Amino acid sequence: MAAIAGSVVSFARPVKAVNVSPVPFAGLRKDNVAFRLHPVSQKFAVLCAAKKETVDKVCDIVRKQLVLPEGTEVSGASKFTDLGADSLDTVEIVMGLEEAFKITVEESSAQSIGTVEDAAELIDKLVEAK
Amino acid sequence: MHHRLLLLRRGAMSIPPPPAPRMPGVAGGRLFASLPPPPPLQSPREVHVWYLCPDELIDRSQLDMYTELLSPSERKNALAMNGPRLQKDAMLSRALLRTTLSRYTDANIDPRSFEFKKNKFGKPEILWQSDESSMEWPLHFNISHTSSLIACGIAMDTPIGIDVEEKKRKTVKSILSLARRYFTPLEVDYLAKISDSDAQQREFIKLWTLKEAYVKALGRGFSGAPFNRFSIQLETNSRIQISKATKVCNDSASGCDYLSENWRFALAELNSSYYMSVCIEDNSRGLYSLFFLM
Repeated sequence: MAAIAGSVVSFARPVKAVNVSPVPFAGLRKDNVAFRLHPVSQKFAVLCAAKKETVDKVCDIVRKQLVLPEGTEVSGASKFTDLGADSLDTVEIVMGLEEAFKITVEESSAQSIGTVEDAAELIDKLVEAK
Repeated sequence: MHHRLLLLRRGAMSIPPPPAPRMPGVAGGRLFASLPPPPPLQSPREVHVWYLCPDELIDRSQLDMYTELLSPSERKNALAMNGPRLQKDAMLSRALLRTTLSRYTDANIDPRSFEFKKNKFGKPEILWQSDESSMEWPLHFNISHTSSLIACGIAMDTPIGIDVEEKKRKTVKSILSLARRYFTPLEVDYLAKISDSDAQQREFIKLWTLKEAYVKALGRGFSGAPFNRFSIQLETNSRIQISKATKVCNDSASGCDYLSENWRFALAELNSSYYMSVCIEDNSRGLYSLFFLM
């Protein structure tokens, strides 16, 4: 059984915020927002949505590592463990992502990656910080 | 003071009879035939491992009965796995755990009754009910599976970690690149000296399972015991030695305070196709030896 990704964080679907002036997202935590919104009638959670290209690239690397059958659905919401990734798969995926995006992922960050979206968000953050 | 490692194979897991009525026409009274009671765990230095191969369990009605032992959340988690094969493995993994635990309580506790919790790092543990009538057994367990084998290790009064891997598991990345990225310099050197690539790959898998078993025994998660902070050495007399990688520990911000070296390892081959590593905490100073019983 994988020793990595023991806890999975689930969160609301990322929503694009409109009519908000751009602010840097560095240091944004998942449970609060760093900028003020104009009051709106409906509540929604605004999160740092990963770029689509990043998500697609992660899906690609995951497919190759896990040798998934054609037609297996892999998307942002896909959990690595549900796709059958064990700990060796996971470290190979992380290494693949490090090579593809020229970043280094610390073990503590790697442990919190449960889904493809988690990985893509982390990658965007690390790429941004370079 | 001896350590004993027993490896035990099950073809079928024993289940207590379901509540009446019994399903008519179910093949084999053997489904309800109880296996003999397991050998008792005689000391904290004894580890028992029960394993099964999902591919051998194809009887649909038998699988349904195993599924019936699971809690609703276990069923839900199993069904969330991608595809029928992974779902079946997940169900069997939980069924193996529950039936095994039940047998080590002398069948005093029904497999369906066990509840589990996770420690703060996510390691699963038994959650004992706090009412006075229940007994508690100081049972520790850990599960590991590959695509074709599921193993459950049981120990008494000592944390345990277990990891199983196919001997011939192919990696996408090269062995040395994986080792350089995740292992210690000592381990990289050990692997680099092996000229035959198949032998090198097998030694990598051995080290991988040993390191995984240690991390799982510690119960702090992969980031709680990063692979590059401790070395495992396979010595020629079959001793398995663990040591902290002092340079890395000294350099790292959090140090290696929670990495301890008083752990015992066993490395075994299963079915000639798998390596299995078992790790338990050891507070004795005694000599240890390992027995493998099939």
